[in-house]
Amino acid sequence: MKRFAVVFVLLAVLVAAFPVTSQEECTAESPCELTTWIAFSDHRLDWAVDTANRFNELYPEYNVTVISVADYDTIVNNYTLAREEGDYPEIVQLFDAALQFAIDSDWFDYAADIVGDREEVLGQPVNFDDIIPVIANYYTVEGRWAGVAWNTSTPIMYYNMDLLGEVGITEAPETWGDVLAACEALQPLVDAGELSACASWPFSAWFIEQWTAQHGEFMVNNGNGRDERATESVIADNNAFREIAQFYRDLYENDYFIYEGLDNWGPTTQNFATQAVAIHMSSSAGARGITEQAAEAGFNLLTAPMVYNEEYGWNGNILGGATMWVSNGLSEEVRDGAMAFLLFFSNTENSASWHNASGYVPVRQSSIELLQSLEEDNGIAWDIPSASRVDLPEGDYYEQNPNFLTASIQLGNSPVNNATLGSTYGTFQQARPIYNGAIEEYMLNGGDLDAIVEAADAAMTEQLQEYNFLFAD
Amino acid sequence: MPESTYLLNPFIPSIVASIVGAVLLGFIGLRTNKSPILLFVAGAISGAIGANLFTAPLNYCMFQADQSNDDVIVGWILVALGATLLIWIVSVVAQRYVKGLPLFPRGEYVAGAFQGRHALLNALLVLSPTLLILIFFVYIPFFDTFRLSTFLARFGTPRTAFICVDNFSRLLSDEAYHMNLYLSFVFSAFIILFTMSTALLIAVMANQPIKGAKIYRTLLIWPYAVSPIVAGSIFQLMLSQESGVINQFITTFGFEKVSWLTTVTPARFSVIVASVWNIIGFNILFYIAGLQNVPKDVLEAASIDGANAWQRFWRITFPLLSPFTFFLVVTNTVYAFFDTFGLIFVLTRGGPTESTFTAMYRIYVQGILGNDIGKSTAQSLVLFLIVIGITIFQFRFANRNVHYGN
Repeated sequence: MKRFAVVFVLLAVLVAAFPVTSQEECTAESPCELTTWIAFSDHRLDWAVDTANRFNELYPEYNVTVISVADYDTIVNNYTLAREEGDYPEIVQLFDAALQFAIDSDWFDYAADIVGDREEVLGQPVNFDDIIPVIANYYTVEGRWAGVAWNTSTPIMYYNMDLLGEVGITEAPETWGDVLAACEALQPLVDAGELSACASWPFSAWFIEQWTAQHGEFMVNNGNGRDERATESVIADNNAFREIAQFYRDLYENDYFIYEGLDNWGPTTQNFATQAVAIHMSSSAGARGITEQAAEAGFNLLTAPMVYNEEYGWNGNILGGATMWVSNGLSEEVRDGAMAFLLFFSNTENSASWHNASGYVPVRQSSIELLQSLEEDNGIAWDIPSASRVDLPEGDYYEQNPNFLTASIQLGNSPVNNATLGSTYGTFQQARPIYNGAIEEYMLNGGDLDAIVEAADAAMTEQLQEYNFLFAD
Repeated sequence: MPESTYLLNPFIPSIVASIVGAVLLGFIGLRTNKSPILLFVAGAISGAIGANLFTAPLNYCMFQADQSNDDVIVGWILVALGATLLIWIVSVVAQRYVKGLPLFPRGEYVAGAFQGRHALLNALLVLSPTLLILIFFVYIPFFDTFRLSTFLARFGTPRTAFICVDNFSRLLSDEAYHMNLYLSFVFSAFIILFTMSTALLIAVMANQPIKGAKIYRTLLIWPYAVSPIVAGSIFQLMLSQESGVINQFITTFGFEKVSWLTTVTPARFSVIVASVWNIIGFNILFYIAGLQNVPKDVLEAASIDGANAWQRFWRITFPLLSPFTFFLVVTNTVYAFFDTFGLIFVLTRGGPTESTFTAMYRIYVQGILGNDIGKSTAQSLVLFLIVIGITIFQFRFANRNVHYGN
């Protein structure tokens, strides 16, 4: 009996050691926790932690803790489980493909509802109109501003102008036809062994979505899922998907393209940085790294907008990246704190600094203007080794770094329509391997393109209908 | 039984299973001439109950009129599984009965440290930390898997939908899934074969009395400490078409570059080699331990009798290693089927054109990345049954060929 008494006492001590507390008010003595999950673990995490600390200094009644979660997919999974457990972060970063999840789950307070008709939250100005339209619209749900944009990117081209110059190409290729022509022109260099191939870029579903938007076409019905809940795939109903498949097939068949595998990003950048290829395409978020690699290798780098199919014209691009969402079910005080943090996080200065730190585009027009006329002691630059903010040189940042402006131009010029807003549907992430795999199959083996597209379309529709069945009202 | 029209009346499988059970157990009774009628009845009852073991909790939905023929086939498979399970258990008891042993093993095992009035209670108290962890992290999720496999389910949805055995029956006609399974078998066979033969060779060499043998042995075990994801990343860097060290190496000898990860056969080969590299340290570890236990005097005696090195190895060492070989076959099977998906994720993402898309990788893609919980749990149960089946087969085989010394 004595032994059981000992065990019982031990258990009681354990329970007492973890008391259940509830906080009424946020004060400097006992600040309210604002746990924030993001998907970065490199210098981008350092930047986020540094900026959160700046907020914590300004607002001692809050304590923002930035936590790194493996990747975008894992965040969605972990957040779902956290919700079911009832212990979840106040702020979470959700990537573009999770937009429908964010809407359907009913787990988030939309920014518009938190802000109401206030012009500032706890002293942080809202200034919604300052956000670049295509970005603001992406995260507008049923006419309401939903998630707060933070890391936004778009695919851009990276050209090795020294290699292209060797074959007489001095202008950046703009279209698919230009790329194929450039590859043909580069072929003598490849034959001479100076170059391994013309081009190499990641084989990513994201580019397929982007090119579909450029064609002015949708991935799913009901206005790309923007007018009403999408119910089926439309990739077999328009030409965009077949055109993209054929473009890849042309590149691959002619040995212009080094294929490094599905979603394998690293080696393709490596191929470009080591001058094994002259043409590369990647996220604009890679601009900083690739610029540094090009400088190290000593070649002349030029970035340019993502190439488009000249037969269909350019209808604009979609943004990529992720956005910050505030969990619902928080007290008003905590909710306002979370919103104030997000407004601070993406204000004019911080958005400009974030652009320098990461290569993601500044989400505010005012940030671009700030970067164009920098003054002394601006503290905008991010020094990766020391993980701290330093000054950018005075003057026009973009004049000094023209390669960093490309993404902003591409997004700024993109008209806002349902194609460029991008698709939203519940199985977005699940569908990606389907259409990426379909294009891979045609690129590698050729065959009956119609049959491949129809099969992918049917598989996507089946998944989507199952998802909708579980969410339908 | 519910009021409904059936495609197949659930009584029929029960009757079939009870006949099979009666015949099998009755046969034991007839052969040994020990109460054949009692065993006959026991077999019939266990067959009948077993037939309903998995179908009754699902309300015999798979036999209902609105189901497809594939659902009925799955129903028959469930009947067969349940009946086999129960008839097997009863036959084990029956075997004891005909041998005159008490029906349930009692007191056959050596009593442990816990004796006296509170023996069981004390034992459970000491075991409770392990048991609790097993219950919460293994058994409950395991039984939840059964439940989830009959649902259309995703994490975070407001509702789920019961869809009977659809998640299973759709696999019957899913050619892509058959290919995934086939790849799992082929990969596993190659991984096990390559790993064990190479590990044995290396272990024999590392077991020679050479200078620094201990250092070699330690180094050889290291790859096992690397997680499959990291192993995948290492191989991905090495096998990259343009910048990979392997292609750099072979081009210096005038060979063409190989697309290791983006053409079908080299990609499969790469996945197998990377998996072998990852698990081989574990195999070497066990084989070295095994080799050190081979009695020297037996080998010396064989030597004196004129056996050459090869004969000594093949006739003495290898049979004496058989318990290790058997253990490694079982663990390698589990590894090859279940643990290589992380490596595939990093290395090929199942590509090119799904040529490295194994059944386990599909479970990961569909369940974790795609959040399609119902389908992936159904597939994991299928894979579980397959691996259990292989393991049972291995144990049967082992009974005849593995020698444990005494």
